[in-house]
Amino acid sequence: MQFGVFSVSDITTDPTTGRAPGEAERIRAVVTIAEKAEEVGLDVFALGEHHNPPFFSSSPTTTLGYIAARTQRLQLSTATTLITTNDPVKIAEDYAMLQHLAGGRVDLMLGRGNTGPVYPWFGQDIRDGIALAVENYALLHRLWREDVVDWQGRFRTPLQGFTSTPRPLDGVPPFVWHGSIRSPEIAEQAAYYGDGFFHNHIFWPKEHTRRMVGLYRRRFEHYGHGSADQAVVGLGGQVFMRRNSQDAVREFRPYFDDAPVYGRGPSLEEFMRETPLTVGSPQQVIDRTLGFRDYVGDYQRQLFLIDHAGLPLKTVLEQLDILGEEVVPVLRKEFAALKPAHVPDAPTHAGRVAAAGGARDATVHTTADTVTGRAGQEVQAR
Amino acid sequence: MSTRTLAVVSAGLSVPSSTRLLADRLAQAGVEALAALDLAAAVEVVELRGHARDLADNLVTGFPNTALRTAVDTVTGADGLIAVTPIFSASYSGLFKTFFDVLDKEALTGKPVLMGATAGTARHSLALEHGMRPLFAYLRAVVTPTAVFAASEDWAGGDRTGAALSDRVRRAAGELAALVAQRPRAAVADPFDDPPPFGTLLAGL
Repeated sequence: MQFGVFSVSDITTDPTTGRAPGEAERIRAVVTIAEKAEEVGLDVFALGEHHNPPFFSSSPTTTLGYIAARTQRLQLSTATTLITTNDPVKIAEDYAMLQHLAGGRVDLMLGRGNTGPVYPWFGQDIRDGIALAVENYALLHRLWREDVVDWQGRFRTPLQGFTSTPRPLDGVPPFVWHGSIRSPEIAEQAAYYGDGFFHNHIFWPKEHTRRMVGLYRRRFEHYGHGSADQAVVGLGGQVFMRRNSQDAVREFRPYFDDAPVYGRGPSLEEFMRETPLTVGSPQQVIDRTLGFRDYVGDYQRQLFLIDHAGLPLKTVLEQLDILGEEVVPVLRKEFAALKPAHVPDAPTHAGRVAAAGGARDATVHTTADTVTGRAGQEVQAR
Repeated sequence: MSTRTLAVVSAGLSVPSSTRLLADRLAQAGVEALAALDLAAAVEVVELRGHARDLADNLVTGFPNTALRTAVDTVTGADGLIAVTPIFSASYSGLFKTFFDVLDKEALTGKPVLMGATAGTARHSLALEHGMRPLFAYLRAVVTPTAVFAASEDWAGGDRTGAALSDRVRRAAGELAALVAQRPRAAVADPFDDPPPFGTLLAGL
């Protein structure tokens, strides 16, 4: 099982000091958080994509490419990549490029985005959200698996004889998770392709997570990718920890009360009761997180949101220390002991290459290539 | 005798409220009208006053908490709905509207609804027709032709006004019972039981 953190890249005023970091400071902070995640032994860092203030992360592959160069082991992912408003051709190109530079330590999580005004900025209509997710991913899926693609669809100009470059590293595309809080169509999509399904698991009661994951698992089996308990599931989660739970509650409350999305609504205590949010001691976080398995089954990836709502970098790094030293080692051991052997581990590039029968150089050399002068042939397995 | 459920939504704020009083009279008349059609009825009352904070939280978080979820399920799962609000500033109250704002927009499709309202003056009476009826039309509910409005004078008035209110209550309840009786028992479709197969999604592009 993989453990990690995900950031939505919000630039929020610290309600306890009234100070908001600038973009430059917050961007450096996110890089620091990613590096720290690797240092404390976490497996994954995932970054959101937004195209409006108060968020900075409009260009996640740039940030992740930089982080890739400064880390050795960390798996890089997104939370989420907008499959609705990005051109699937550009997603195919950008993430294949990142995959090469990161040595395969890349997967991505596709989502529709929750910001209505974004759609028209990119020439789309929010009412087409599901249809865009379906069509754009159908194209993305082909671009990574077929060297030459002819395509015609509703939402972009047709493609004739198009080759997306670079080809996926070792001939194996990045693993894809589909993220959705409550749209059964997206769970169905993940199941159809045999891809992963990720539930945000922060904003809504666990009942929604249970139903979405249950649907995905059932349909994963229906489409013949394996038994329902072999489907690949990821969960979000939100935690804040101090040695004494009262200290955690006292320190986190002002950030909760002012948080974007749910701030100035229910009390911290009510929100903890209604959603998976856990504010307390490391042991409370361990107990609550182990309980997720009771309603989603054995799952492959757990990501925590720890750096939002104006929490200062110093505090976030302390949270990472607690996760790395006290929480994740216990969770790893406990989850591993519970997981039956036939349930797969989280997907990795190495594992997917092995499953594909080994690495191959997938480079496409064109015919009549006036630049390199090479004849049209694919370089075969090395 | 087969059983139907009537959900009663009351947005009255005082305890006791004339809104709840009207709601109870409508519910009782509804039960009697259904009995006349050989149908037993169970009445479940949702007092929105008790969910005022839950509704505000739902606006902020986007989901109903456990208590509000129960109230929502009561209404969406009922065979018929009696919805009663005080008239504030020429229309239904904000609390009343918020409850219907947080329902799924398909949740009341085809549901028989009886509308009621209370106010301090009869000059508010057409708020039912100009304000509330379009709300339920938008939600594609099936609203009875008769809506029941009660002003202070209806409660305090002499025999003639009091009898007139009773007549309106009885007529509206009869219309509601007829709609409920015509309709198969309410079943709430669960989108997670039977999602659109992916082939349909692809073909629908």
